[in-house]
Amino acid sequence: MTTLAIALVVPWGAGTVLVLLDGRRRVVGWVAVAVLAGNLAALGVLTALVLRNGPISVTTGNWPEGVGITLHADALGVVFALLSSFVVLTALVHEVIEGTRERVFPGLVVLLAAGLTGVFLTGDIFNFYVFFELAMTASYILATYGGTKRELGAALVFMAVNLLGTFIFLLAVAGVYHVTGSLEMQTIAARMDNVDANAAVLIAVGFFAAFGVKLGLFPFHFWLPTVYTGVRPAVAAILSGAVANIGAYGLLRFGGELLPRELEVAGVALVVIGGASILYGGVLAISRRSAGEMLAYSAIGQIGYVLVAIGIGGQVAFAAAILYTAVNALNKTLLFLSAQMRGAVVAGVFALGAFSVAGVPPAAGFVGKLELFRAAAGSPALIALFFVGSALSFVYAFQIYQHDFWRGPRPGTPSAASEQVVVAALALLVLAVGIWPEPLLALSHDAAEALTRGAP
Amino acid sequence: MTFLFALTAAVVFGTGAYLVLDRDLVRVVLGLVLISQAAVLTLIASSLRRGLAPIYPLGGGEVSDPLSQAMALTAIVIGLAVTALLLALVVRVVHAFGSEELDELAEEAQRQARSETAADEARKVEEEAAR
Repeated sequence: MTTLAIALVVPWGAGTVLVLLDGRRRVVGWVAVAVLAGNLAALGVLTALVLRNGPISVTTGNWPEGVGITLHADALGVVFALLSSFVVLTALVHEVIEGTRERVFPGLVVLLAAGLTGVFLTGDIFNFYVFFELAMTASYILATYGGTKRELGAALVFMAVNLLGTFIFLLAVAGVYHVTGSLEMQTIAARMDNVDANAAVLIAVGFFAAFGVKLGLFPFHFWLPTVYTGVRPAVAAILSGAVANIGAYGLLRFGGELLPRELEVAGVALVVIGGASILYGGVLAISRRSAGEMLAYSAIGQIGYVLVAIGIGGQVAFAAAILYTAVNALNKTLLFLSAQMRGAVVAGVFALGAFSVAGVPPAAGFVGKLELFRAAAGSPALIALFFVGSALSFVYAFQIYQHDFWRGPRPGTPSAASEQVVVAALALLVLAVGIWPEPLLALSHDAAEALTRGAP
Repeated sequence: MTFLFALTAAVVFGTGAYLVLDRDLVRVVLGLVLISQAAVLTLIASSLRRGLAPIYPLGGGEVSDPLSQAMALTAIVIGLAVTALLLALVVRVVHAFGSEELDELAEEAQRQARSETAADEARKVEEEAAR
Protein backbone atom coordinates (compact mmCIF):
# COMPACT_ATOMS: atom_id res chain seq x y z
CA MET A 1 0.00 0.00 0.00
CA THR A 2 2.78 2.44 0.89
CA THR A 3 4.72 1.43 -2.22
CA LEU A 4 1.71 2.30 -4.34
CA ALA A 5 1.48 5.72 -2.71
CA ILE A 6 5.23 6.33 -3.06
CA ALA A 7 5.25 5.36 -6.74
CA LEU A 8 2.50 7.90 -7.41
CA VAL A 9 3.11 10.75 -4.98
CA VAL A 10 6.89 11.10 -5.25
CA PRO A 11 7.05 11.97 -8.98
CA TRP A 12 3.88 14.05 -8.66
CA GLY A 13 5.20 16.22 -5.84
CA ALA A 14 8.75 16.37 -7.18
CA GLY A 15 7.49 17.23 -10.67
CA THR A 16 5.51 20.19 -9.37
CA VAL A 17 8.65 21.58 -7.73
CA LEU A 18 10.93 20.73 -10.66
CA VAL A 19 8.87 22.62 -13.27
CA LEU A 20 9.53 25.79 -11.28
CA LEU A 21 13.31 25.31 -11.38
CA ASP A 22 15.59 26.03 -14.31
CA GLY A 23 15.87 22.67 -16.05
CA ARG A 24 18.76 23.81 -18.22
CA ARG A 25 21.02 23.44 -15.21
CA ARG A 26 22.58 19.99 -15.03
CA VAL A 27 21.77 19.52 -11.34
CA VAL A 28 18.02 19.91 -11.94
CA GLY A 29 18.18 17.40 -14.78
CA TRP A 30 19.93 14.83 -12.63
CA VAL A 31 17.52 15.39 -9.74
CA ALA A 32 14.70 14.63 -12.18
CA VAL A 33 16.55 11.47 -13.22
CA ALA A 34 16.90 10.48 -9.55
CA VAL A 35 13.17 11.02 -8.96
CA LEU A 36 12.29 8.87 -11.95
CA ALA A 37 14.73 6.19 -10.81
CA GLY A 38 12.93 6.25 -7.44
CA ASN A 39 9.61 5.90 -9.23
CA LEU A 40 10.95 2.96 -11.24
CA ALA A 41 12.33 1.29 -8.10
CA ALA A 42 9.02 1.73 -6.25
CA LEU A 43 7.17 0.25 -9.23
CA GLY A 44 9.64 -2.64 -9.27
CA VAL A 45 8.93 -3.41 -5.62
CA LEU A 46 5.20 -3.02 -6.28
CA THR A 47 5.41 -5.46 -9.19
CA ALA A 48 7.13 -8.03 -6.99
CA LEU A 49 4.49 -7.58 -4.29
CA VAL A 50 1.58 -7.82 -6.74
CA LEU A 51 2.99 -10.93 -8.40
CA ARG A 52 3.54 -12.62 -5.04
CA ASN A 53 0.42 -11.58 -3.10
CA GLY A 54 -2.13 -10.65 -5.76
CA PRO A 55 -3.66 -7.25 -6.56
CA ILE A 56 -3.35 -4.36 -4.13
CA SER A 57 -6.22 -1.93 -3.64
CA VAL A 58 -6.17 1.36 -1.79
CA THR A 59 -9.12 3.67 -1.20
CA THR A 60 -7.78 7.20 -1.06
CA GLY A 61 -8.44 9.67 1.74
CA ASN A 62 -9.67 7.03 4.26
CA TRP A 63 -13.12 7.09 2.71
CA PRO A 64 -15.24 3.98 3.12
CA GLU A 65 -14.97 1.52 0.27
CA GLY A 66 -17.30 2.35 -2.60
CA VAL A 67 -17.27 6.07 -1.85
CA GLY A 68 -13.61 7.09 -2.16
CA ILE A 69 -11.55 6.83 -5.30
CA THR A 70 -9.74 3.50 -5.52
CA LEU A 71 -6.23 2.86 -6.69
CA HIS A 72 -5.92 -0.68 -7.90
CA ALA A 73 -2.60 -2.30 -8.79
CA ASP A 74 -2.93 -5.62 -10.58
CA ALA A 75 -0.44 -7.48 -12.76
CA LEU A 76 -1.55 -5.76 -15.98
CA GLY A 77 -1.30 -2.28 -14.49
CA VAL A 78 2.11 -2.72 -12.89
CA VAL A 79 3.62 -4.23 -16.04
CA PHE A 80 2.58 -1.20 -18.09
CA ALA A 81 3.60 1.24 -15.35
CA LEU A 82 7.01 -0.39 -15.04
CA LEU A 83 7.56 -0.38 -18.80
CA SER A 84 6.51 3.24 -19.28
CA SER A 85 8.51 4.47 -16.35
CA PHE A 86 11.60 2.73 -17.72
CA VAL A 87 11.16 4.26 -21.19
CA VAL A 88 10.64 7.76 -19.79
CA LEU A 89 13.70 7.40 -17.56
CA THR A 90 15.90 6.28 -20.46
CA ALA A 91 14.77 9.14 -22.69
CA LEU A 92 15.33 11.67 -19.91
CA VAL A 93 18.84 10.38 -19.16
CA HIS A 94 19.62 10.62 -22.87
CA GLU A 95 18.39 14.19 -23.09
CA VAL A 96 20.06 15.35 -19.86
CA ILE A 97 23.41 14.05 -21.11
CA GLU A 98 22.94 15.85 -24.38
CA GLY A 99 21.98 19.04 -22.52
CA THR A 100 18.44 20.20 -21.85
CA ARG A 101 17.42 23.20 -23.92
CA GLU A 102 14.32 24.38 -22.10
CA ARG A 103 13.79 25.09 -18.45
CA VAL A 104 10.58 23.11 -17.97
CA PHE A 105 11.70 19.92 -19.71
CA PRO A 106 12.85 17.75 -16.74
CA GLY A 107 9.91 18.77 -14.56
CA LEU A 108 7.40 18.01 -17.28
CA VAL A 109 8.92 14.61 -17.95
CA VAL A 110 8.60 13.77 -14.24
CA LEU A 111 4.96 14.95 -14.23
CA LEU A 112 4.33 12.87 -17.32
CA ALA A 113 5.69 9.82 -15.48
CA ALA A 114 3.40 10.61 -12.54
CA GLY A 115 0.41 10.80 -14.86
CA LEU A 116 1.32 7.52 -16.55
CA THR A 117 1.81 5.76 -13.23
CA GLY A 118 -1.60 7.02 -12.15
CA VAL A 119 -3.32 5.94 -15.35
CA PHE A 120 -2.03 2.40 -15.03
CA LEU A 121 -2.69 2.06 -11.31
CA THR A 122 -6.12 3.59 -10.93
CA GLY A 123 -9.26 1.53 -10.45
CA ASP A 124 -11.71 4.30 -11.29
CA ILE A 125 -12.55 5.36 -14.82
CA PHE A 126 -13.01 9.06 -14.14
CA ASN A 127 -9.76 9.11 -12.23
CA PHE A 128 -8.28 7.38 -15.27
CA TYR A 129 -9.38 10.41 -17.29
CA VAL A 130 -7.77 12.84 -14.83
CA PHE A 131 -4.39 11.09 -14.80
CA PHE A 132 -4.61 10.60 -18.52
CA GLU A 133 -5.11 14.35 -18.94
CA LEU A 134 -2.17 15.02 -16.60
CA ALA A 135 0.08 12.86 -18.75
CA MET A 136 -1.28 14.26 -22.01
CA THR A 137 -1.00 17.90 -20.94
CA ALA A 138 2.64 17.32 -20.05
CA SER A 139 3.23 15.66 -23.41
CA TYR A 140 1.51 18.51 -25.31
CA ILE A 141 4.07 20.90 -23.90
CA LEU A 142 6.90 18.40 -24.41
CA ALA A 143 5.95 18.22 -28.09
CA THR A 144 6.87 21.90 -28.46
CA TYR A 145 10.31 21.13 -27.00
CA GLY A 146 12.91 22.73 -29.22
CA GLY A 147 10.61 25.57 -30.14
CA THR A 148 11.29 25.85 -33.89
CA LYS A 149 8.53 25.97 -36.49
CA ARG A 150 8.70 22.23 -36.98
CA GLU A 151 8.04 21.36 -33.34
CA LEU A 152 5.37 24.02 -32.93
CA GLY A 153 3.43 22.84 -35.97
CA ALA A 154 3.69 19.23 -34.79
CA ALA A 155 2.61 20.16 -31.27
CA LEU A 156 -0.48 21.95 -32.56
CA VAL A 157 -1.61 18.95 -34.59
CA PHE A 158 -0.82 16.59 -31.71
CA MET A 159 -2.74 18.64 -29.20
CA ALA A 160 -5.84 19.30 -31.33
CA VAL A 161 -6.27 15.68 -32.39
CA ASN A 162 -5.57 14.18 -28.99
CA LEU A 163 -7.91 16.61 -27.24
CA LEU A 164 -10.64 15.43 -29.55
CA GLY A 165 -9.83 11.84 -28.56
CA THR A 166 -9.88 12.81 -24.88
CA PHE A 167 -13.33 14.37 -25.12
CA ILE A 168 -14.68 11.31 -26.91
CA PHE A 169 -13.29 9.29 -24.01
CA LEU A 170 -15.08 11.58 -21.57
CA LEU A 171 -18.37 11.12 -23.45
CA ALA A 172 -17.93 7.35 -23.18
CA VAL A 173 -17.24 7.70 -19.43
CA ALA A 174 -20.48 9.66 -19.06
CA GLY A 175 -22.23 6.88 -20.94
CA VAL A 176 -20.82 4.21 -18.64
CA TYR A 177 -21.89 6.14 -15.57
CA HIS A 178 -25.37 6.57 -16.98
CA VAL A 179 -25.92 2.89 -17.67
CA THR A 180 -24.11 1.33 -14.69
CA GLY A 181 -24.23 4.05 -12.02
CA SER A 182 -20.63 3.40 -11.06
CA LEU A 183 -17.15 4.56 -11.95
CA GLU A 184 -15.23 1.76 -10.28
CA MET A 185 -13.85 -0.65 -12.84
CA GLN A 186 -14.67 -3.85 -10.95
CA THR A 187 -18.26 -2.80 -10.28
CA ILE A 188 -18.68 -1.74 -13.91
CA ALA A 189 -17.35 -5.07 -15.14
CA ALA A 190 -19.88 -6.87 -12.95
CA ARG A 191 -22.83 -4.69 -14.00
CA MET A 192 -22.05 -4.43 -17.69
CA ASP A 193 -23.69 -7.79 -18.40
CA ASN A 194 -27.14 -6.41 -17.59
CA VAL A 195 -26.78 -3.32 -19.75
CA ASP A 196 -28.77 -2.85 -22.94
CA ALA A 197 -26.66 -4.19 -25.80
CA ASN A 198 -27.06 -1.12 -28.02
CA ALA A 199 -25.90 1.28 -25.32
CA ALA A 200 -22.94 -0.97 -24.54
CA VAL A 201 -21.88 -1.07 -28.19
CA LEU A 202 -22.07 2.72 -28.42
CA ILE A 203 -19.88 3.07 -25.33
CA ALA A 204 -17.42 0.50 -26.64
CA VAL A 205 -17.12 2.38 -29.93
CA GLY A 206 -16.44 5.60 -28.00
CA PHE A 207 -13.62 3.99 -26.04
CA PHE A 208 -12.22 2.37 -29.16
CA ALA A 209 -12.12 5.70 -31.03
CA ALA A 210 -10.51 7.45 -28.07
CA PHE A 211 -7.74 4.85 -27.66
CA GLY A 212 -7.38 4.40 -31.40
CA VAL A 213 -6.52 8.09 -31.69
CA LYS A 214 -3.93 7.77 -28.90
CA LEU A 215 -2.35 4.74 -30.54
CA GLY A 216 -2.43 6.08 -34.09
CA LEU A 217 -4.28 3.08 -35.51
CA PHE A 218 -4.98 3.03 -39.21
CA PRO A 219 -8.12 5.15 -39.58
CA PHE A 220 -6.95 7.52 -36.82
CA HIS A 221 -3.30 7.62 -37.81
CA PHE A 222 -3.28 10.89 -39.78
CA TRP A 223 -1.66 12.98 -37.04
CA LEU A 224 1.09 10.55 -36.14
CA PRO A 225 3.75 10.96 -38.88
CA THR A 226 3.67 14.76 -38.64
CA VAL A 227 4.16 14.64 -34.90
CA TYR A 228 6.76 11.87 -34.60
CA THR A 229 8.94 13.40 -37.29
CA GLY A 230 8.44 16.95 -36.02
CA VAL A 231 9.38 16.56 -32.36
CA ARG A 232 12.87 16.03 -30.91
CA PRO A 233 14.16 12.40 -30.70
CA ALA A 234 13.87 12.14 -26.91
CA VAL A 235 10.28 13.38 -27.06
CA ALA A 236 9.45 11.04 -29.94
CA ALA A 237 10.86 8.17 -27.86
CA ILE A 238 8.69 9.17 -24.90
CA LEU A 239 5.57 9.57 -27.06
CA SER A 240 5.94 6.28 -28.92
CA GLY A 241 7.46 4.24 -26.10
CA ALA A 242 5.47 5.45 -23.09
CA VAL A 243 2.47 7.64 -23.95
CA ALA A 244 1.24 5.32 -26.72
CA ASN A 245 1.10 2.55 -24.08
CA ILE A 246 -1.99 4.28 -22.68
CA GLY A 247 -3.82 3.30 -25.87
CA ALA A 248 -2.80 -0.35 -25.72
CA TYR A 249 -3.51 -0.53 -22.00
CA GLY A 250 -6.86 1.18 -22.48
CA LEU A 251 -7.93 -1.25 -25.18
CA LEU A 252 -6.93 -4.19 -22.99
CA ARG A 253 -8.45 -2.85 -19.80
CA PHE A 254 -11.67 -1.42 -21.22
CA GLY A 255 -12.10 -4.03 -23.92
CA GLY A 256 -10.84 -7.13 -22.16
CA GLU A 257 -12.12 -6.43 -18.66
CA LEU A 258 -15.02 -3.97 -18.81
CA LEU A 259 -16.63 -4.77 -22.16
CA PRO A 260 -15.62 -8.37 -22.98
CA ARG A 261 -18.92 -9.09 -24.75
CA GLU A 262 -18.52 -6.14 -27.11
CA LEU A 263 -14.86 -7.01 -27.71
CA GLU A 264 -15.89 -10.47 -28.80
CA VAL A 265 -18.49 -9.06 -31.19
CA ALA A 266 -15.95 -6.60 -32.62
CA GLY A 267 -13.15 -9.18 -32.84
CA VAL A 268 -13.20 -9.54 -36.61
CA ALA A 269 -13.42 -5.77 -37.13
CA LEU A 270 -10.40 -5.23 -34.87
CA VAL A 271 -8.40 -7.85 -36.74
CA VAL A 272 -9.28 -6.18 -40.06
CA ILE A 273 -8.35 -2.69 -38.80
CA GLY A 274 -5.15 -4.07 -37.27
CA GLY A 275 -4.29 -5.80 -40.55
CA ALA A 276 -4.89 -2.57 -42.45
CA SER A 277 -2.57 -0.77 -39.99
CA ILE A 278 0.16 -3.37 -40.50
CA LEU A 279 0.04 -3.18 -44.29
CA TYR A 280 -0.43 0.60 -44.52
CA GLY A 281 2.36 1.33 -42.02
CA GLY A 282 4.70 -1.19 -43.64
CA VAL A 283 4.21 -0.04 -47.22
CA LEU A 284 4.49 3.66 -46.41
CA ALA A 285 7.54 3.10 -44.21
CA ILE A 286 9.28 1.51 -47.21
CA SER A 287 8.62 4.63 -49.27
CA ARG A 288 10.41 6.88 -46.72
CA ARG A 289 14.05 7.87 -46.92
CA SER A 290 14.78 9.31 -43.48
CA ALA A 291 15.02 7.35 -40.26
CA GLY A 292 12.49 9.56 -38.43
CA GLU A 293 9.77 9.22 -41.06
CA MET A 294 10.34 5.50 -41.44
CA LEU A 295 9.97 5.06 -37.67
CA ALA A 296 6.77 7.10 -37.59
CA TYR A 297 5.08 4.90 -40.19
CA SER A 298 6.58 1.80 -38.63
CA ALA A 299 4.89 2.81 -35.36
CA ILE A 300 1.50 2.66 -37.11
CA GLY A 301 2.31 -0.80 -38.46
CA GLN A 302 3.65 -2.21 -35.20
CA ILE A 303 0.56 -1.08 -33.28
CA GLY A 304 -1.49 -3.06 -35.79
CA TYR A 305 -0.02 -6.32 -34.44
CA VAL A 306 -1.19 -5.42 -30.94
CA LEU A 307 -4.69 -4.69 -32.20
CA VAL A 308 -4.87 -7.96 -34.15
CA ALA A 309 -3.86 -9.85 -31.01
CA ILE A 310 -6.53 -8.06 -28.97
CA GLY A 311 -9.05 -8.84 -31.70
CA ILE A 312 -8.24 -12.56 -31.55
CA GLY A 313 -9.08 -12.47 -27.84
CA GLY A 314 -8.48 -15.01 -25.09
CA GLN A 315 -5.67 -15.29 -22.61
CA VAL A 316 -2.93 -16.40 -25.00
CA ALA A 317 -3.65 -13.55 -27.41
CA PHE A 318 -3.86 -10.94 -24.62
CA ALA A 319 -0.50 -12.15 -23.31
CA ALA A 320 0.90 -11.78 -26.84
CA ALA A 321 -0.53 -8.25 -27.07
CA ILE A 322 1.04 -7.25 -23.76
CA LEU A 323 4.38 -8.79 -24.64
CA TYR A 324 4.38 -7.18 -28.07
CA THR A 325 3.54 -3.77 -26.62
CA ALA A 326 6.51 -4.09 -24.26
CA VAL A 327 8.91 -5.22 -26.97
CA ASN A 328 7.66 -2.56 -29.38
CA ALA A 329 8.07 0.17 -26.75
CA LEU A 330 11.69 -0.86 -26.20
CA ASN A 331 12.38 -1.05 -29.95
CA LYS A 332 10.88 2.35 -30.67
CA THR A 333 12.71 4.00 -27.78
CA LEU A 334 15.98 2.53 -28.96
CA LEU A 335 15.48 3.50 -32.60
CA PHE A 336 14.12 7.00 -32.01
CA LEU A 337 16.96 7.80 -29.60
CA SER A 338 19.63 6.52 -31.96
CA ALA A 339 18.00 7.86 -35.14
CA GLN A 340 19.86 11.16 -35.07
CA MET A 341 23.03 10.13 -33.27
CA ARG A 342 26.47 9.69 -34.68
CA GLY A 343 29.36 7.62 -33.39
CA ALA A 344 31.07 4.27 -33.22
CA VAL A 345 28.36 2.11 -31.66
CA VAL A 346 25.36 3.83 -33.24
CA ALA A 347 25.32 1.72 -36.41
CA GLY A 348 25.41 -1.49 -34.38
CA VAL A 349 22.69 -0.26 -32.04
CA PHE A 350 20.49 0.77 -34.95
CA ALA A 351 21.02 -2.58 -36.66
CA LEU A 352 19.99 -4.41 -33.50
CA GLY A 353 16.86 -2.27 -33.27
CA ALA A 354 16.13 -3.00 -36.93
CA PHE A 355 16.54 -6.75 -36.32
CA SER A 356 14.17 -6.47 -33.39
CA VAL A 357 11.52 -4.61 -35.41
CA ALA A 358 11.76 -7.22 -38.14
CA GLY A 359 11.64 -10.06 -35.58
CA VAL A 360 14.96 -11.74 -36.30
CA PRO A 361 15.97 -14.26 -33.58
CA PRO A 362 18.61 -12.85 -31.27
CA ALA A 363 16.63 -9.65 -30.65
CA ALA A 364 13.54 -9.17 -28.46
CA GLY A 365 11.24 -8.66 -31.43
CA PHE A 366 11.52 -12.36 -32.25
CA VAL A 367 9.90 -13.34 -28.96
CA GLY A 368 7.07 -10.88 -29.60
CA LYS A 369 6.44 -12.25 -33.08
CA LEU A 370 6.65 -15.84 -31.80
CA GLU A 371 3.91 -15.17 -29.25
CA LEU A 372 1.81 -13.53 -31.97
CA PHE A 373 2.17 -16.59 -34.18
CA ARG A 374 1.17 -18.75 -31.24
CA ALA A 375 -1.93 -16.62 -30.68
CA ALA A 376 -2.86 -16.85 -34.37
CA ALA A 377 -2.07 -20.55 -34.64
CA GLY A 378 -5.53 -21.54 -35.84
CA SER A 379 -5.77 -19.18 -38.76
CA PRO A 380 -3.59 -19.40 -41.88
CA ALA A 381 -4.76 -15.96 -43.07
CA LEU A 382 -3.46 -14.28 -39.92
CA ILE A 383 -0.16 -16.12 -40.08
CA ALA A 384 0.22 -14.96 -43.67
CA LEU A 385 -0.59 -11.40 -42.57
CA PHE A 386 2.06 -11.48 -39.81
CA PHE A 387 4.55 -12.94 -42.23
CA VAL A 388 3.93 -10.24 -44.85
CA GLY A 389 4.10 -7.57 -42.13
CA SER A 390 7.42 -8.90 -40.88
CA ALA A 391 8.81 -9.01 -44.40
CA LEU A 392 7.78 -5.39 -44.94
CA SER A 393 9.40 -4.32 -41.67
CA PHE A 394 12.57 -6.16 -42.60
CA VAL A 395 12.73 -4.23 -45.88
CA TYR A 396 12.04 -0.79 -44.45
CA ALA A 397 14.32 -1.15 -41.43
CA PHE A 398 17.32 -2.32 -43.42
CA GLN A 399 16.72 0.04 -46.28
CA ILE A 400 17.23 2.94 -43.88
CA TYR A 401 20.14 1.15 -42.23
CA GLN A 402 21.84 0.77 -45.57
CA HIS A 403 21.06 4.36 -46.57
CA ASP A 404 22.36 5.80 -43.30
CA PHE A 405 25.35 3.65 -42.45
CA TRP A 406 26.69 1.84 -45.51
CA ARG A 407 27.29 5.00 -47.47
CA GLY A 408 29.86 6.13 -44.93
CA PRO A 409 29.23 7.58 -41.48
CA ARG A 410 26.43 10.07 -40.90
CA PRO A 411 27.48 13.68 -41.37
CA GLY A 412 28.28 15.79 -38.31
CA THR A 413 30.28 15.36 -35.14
CA PRO A 414 29.94 12.16 -33.07
CA SER A 415 27.58 12.17 -30.09
CA ALA A 416 28.94 12.20 -26.53
CA ALA A 417 30.38 8.89 -25.33
CA SER A 418 28.01 8.69 -22.36
CA GLU A 419 25.05 9.16 -24.68
CA GLN A 420 26.28 6.26 -26.75
CA VAL A 421 26.59 4.20 -23.57
CA VAL A 422 22.88 4.84 -22.84
CA VAL A 423 21.68 3.58 -26.22
CA ALA A 424 24.16 0.70 -26.11
CA ALA A 425 22.79 -0.35 -22.72
CA LEU A 426 19.27 -0.18 -24.10
CA ALA A 427 20.33 -2.26 -27.10
CA LEU A 428 21.87 -4.85 -24.76
CA LEU A 429 18.57 -4.98 -22.89
CA VAL A 430 16.69 -5.63 -26.14
CA LEU A 431 19.19 -8.39 -26.87
CA ALA A 432 18.94 -9.80 -23.35
CA VAL A 433 15.14 -9.96 -23.56
CA GLY A 434 15.52 -11.85 -26.82
CA ILE A 435 18.02 -14.32 -25.42
CA TRP A 436 16.38 -14.83 -22.04
CA PRO A 437 12.70 -13.99 -22.54
CA GLU A 438 11.44 -16.06 -19.60
CA PRO A 439 10.82 -13.19 -17.10
CA LEU A 440 8.96 -11.03 -19.62
CA LEU A 441 6.93 -14.00 -20.87
CA ALA A 442 5.93 -14.89 -17.31
CA LEU A 443 5.04 -11.28 -16.60
CA SER A 444 2.85 -10.92 -19.66
CA HIS A 445 1.06 -14.20 -18.92
CA ASP A 446 0.40 -13.09 -15.34
CA ALA A 447 -0.92 -9.79 -16.65
CA ALA A 448 -3.21 -11.49 -19.17
CA GLU A 449 -4.41 -13.83 -16.45
CA ALA A 450 -5.29 -10.87 -14.24
CA LEU A 451 -7.29 -9.47 -17.14
CA THR A 452 -9.29 -12.58 -17.95
CA ARG A 453 -9.83 -13.82 -14.42
CA GLY A 454 -13.33 -12.43 -14.22
CA ALA A 455 -14.35 -13.74 -17.63
CA PRO A 456 -15.48 -17.34 -18.08
CA MET B 1 -35.43 15.22 -20.23
CA THR B 2 -32.61 12.86 -21.14
CA PHE B 3 -33.58 13.25 -24.77
CA LEU B 4 -33.43 17.04 -24.51
CA PHE B 5 -29.95 16.86 -23.00
CA ALA B 6 -28.80 14.38 -25.61
CA LEU B 7 -30.10 16.62 -28.38
CA THR B 8 -28.44 19.72 -26.95
CA ALA B 9 -25.13 17.91 -26.45
CA ALA B 10 -25.34 16.60 -30.01
CA VAL B 11 -25.95 20.09 -31.42
CA VAL B 12 -23.09 21.56 -29.39
CA PHE B 13 -20.78 18.72 -30.44
CA GLY B 14 -21.76 19.12 -34.06
CA THR B 15 -21.14 22.85 -34.02
CA GLY B 16 -17.76 22.20 -32.42
CA ALA B 17 -16.88 19.56 -34.99
CA TYR B 18 -17.77 22.00 -37.78
CA LEU B 19 -15.48 24.65 -36.29
CA VAL B 20 -12.61 22.19 -35.78
CA LEU B 21 -12.62 21.55 -39.51
CA ASP B 22 -12.10 25.25 -40.22
CA ARG B 23 -8.80 26.61 -41.51
CA ASP B 24 -8.58 29.40 -38.98
CA LEU B 25 -6.68 28.32 -35.86
CA VAL B 26 -8.74 30.37 -33.40
CA ARG B 27 -11.90 28.75 -34.76
CA VAL B 28 -10.33 25.33 -34.28
CA VAL B 29 -9.70 26.19 -30.63
CA LEU B 30 -13.28 27.42 -30.23
CA GLY B 31 -14.51 24.19 -31.78
CA LEU B 32 -12.54 22.16 -29.25
CA VAL B 33 -13.96 24.28 -26.43
CA LEU B 34 -17.49 23.56 -27.67
CA ILE B 35 -16.77 19.84 -27.89
CA SER B 36 -15.45 19.89 -24.33
CA GLN B 37 -18.66 21.60 -23.26
CA ALA B 38 -20.67 18.90 -24.99
CA ALA B 39 -18.76 16.35 -22.91
CA VAL B 40 -19.46 18.31 -19.71
CA LEU B 41 -23.14 18.52 -20.57
CA THR B 42 -23.26 14.77 -21.11
CA LEU B 43 -21.54 14.20 -17.76
CA ILE B 44 -24.18 16.27 -15.99
CA ALA B 45 -26.97 14.57 -17.89
CA SER B 46 -25.57 11.10 -17.16
CA SER B 47 -27.14 11.09 -13.73
CA LEU B 48 -29.71 13.83 -13.54
CA ARG B 49 -32.06 13.54 -10.56
CA ARG B 50 -34.14 16.10 -8.75
CA GLY B 51 -33.49 15.83 -5.02
CA LEU B 52 -32.06 17.31 -1.85
CA ALA B 53 -28.55 18.72 -1.65
CA PRO B 54 -26.41 15.70 -0.77
CA ILE B 55 -24.00 17.58 1.47
CA TYR B 56 -26.62 18.02 4.23
CA PRO B 57 -29.92 16.36 3.36
CA LEU B 58 -32.68 17.80 5.57
CA GLY B 59 -35.77 15.71 5.94
CA GLY B 60 -36.52 12.51 4.06
CA GLY B 61 -36.79 12.00 0.35
CA GLU B 62 -34.32 11.36 -2.41
CA VAL B 63 -30.90 12.99 -2.63
CA SER B 64 -29.58 14.26 -5.95
CA ASP B 65 -26.44 12.59 -7.29
CA PRO B 66 -23.34 14.59 -6.34
CA LEU B 67 -20.96 12.51 -8.41
CA SER B 68 -21.98 13.72 -11.85
CA GLN B 69 -21.68 17.32 -10.67
CA ALA B 70 -18.24 16.63 -9.21
CA MET B 71 -17.20 15.08 -12.50
CA ALA B 72 -18.57 18.02 -14.48
CA LEU B 73 -16.67 20.46 -12.26
CA THR B 74 -13.44 18.54 -12.68
CA ALA B 75 -13.95 18.37 -16.42
CA ILE B 76 -14.62 22.12 -16.59
CA VAL B 77 -11.43 22.92 -14.67
CA ILE B 78 -9.32 20.61 -16.82
CA GLY B 79 -10.99 22.00 -19.93
CA LEU B 80 -10.13 25.53 -18.85
CA ALA B 81 -6.47 24.68 -18.28
CA VAL B 82 -6.18 22.86 -21.58
CA THR B 83 -7.89 25.69 -23.49
CA ALA B 84 -5.47 28.21 -21.98
CA LEU B 85 -2.57 26.00 -23.02
CA LEU B 86 -3.97 25.56 -26.52
CA LEU B 87 -4.43 29.32 -26.96
CA ALA B 88 -0.87 29.93 -25.76
CA LEU B 89 0.36 27.42 -28.31
CA VAL B 90 -1.65 29.12 -31.06
CA VAL B 91 -0.06 32.46 -30.13
CA ARG B 92 3.42 30.91 -30.42
CA VAL B 93 2.54 29.29 -33.73
CA VAL B 94 1.17 32.57 -35.11
CA HIS B 95 4.36 34.35 -34.03
CA ALA B 96 6.59 31.68 -35.57
CA PHE B 97 4.74 31.25 -38.86
CA GLY B 98 3.28 34.74 -39.22
CA SER B 99 -0.07 33.22 -40.12
CA GLU B 100 -3.02 31.54 -38.49
CA GLU B 101 -4.23 29.65 -41.53
CA LEU B 102 -3.71 25.89 -41.32
CA ASP B 103 -2.87 25.44 -45.03
CA GLU B 104 -0.01 27.87 -44.84
CA LEU B 105 1.32 26.07 -41.78
CA ALA B 106 1.29 22.77 -43.63
CA GLU B 107 3.01 24.24 -46.68
CA GLU B 108 5.63 25.95 -44.58
CA ALA B 109 6.36 22.72 -42.67
CA GLN B 110 6.71 20.80 -45.91
CA ARG B 111 9.04 23.40 -47.39
CA GLN B 112 11.20 23.22 -44.33
CA ALA B 113 11.33 19.43 -44.31
CA ARG B 114 12.34 19.42 -47.96
CA SER B 115 15.09 21.98 -47.46
CA GLU B 116 16.40 20.05 -44.45
CA THR B 117 16.63 16.79 -46.39
CA ALA B 118 18.33 18.63 -49.21
CA ALA B 119 20.85 20.20 -46.82
CA ASP B 120 21.53 16.81 -45.28
CA GLU B 121 22.16 15.23 -48.66
CA ALA B 122 24.43 18.10 -49.70
CA ARG B 123 26.46 17.73 -46.52
CA LYS B 124 26.85 14.03 -47.10
CA VAL B 125 28.02 14.51 -50.68
CA GLU B 126 30.48 17.15 -49.49
CA GLU B 127 31.95 14.84 -46.88
CA GLU B 128 32.28 12.03 -49.35
CA ALA B 129 34.08 14.36 -51.73
CA ALA B 130 36.41 15.44 -48.92
CA ARG B 131 37.34 11.82 -48.29
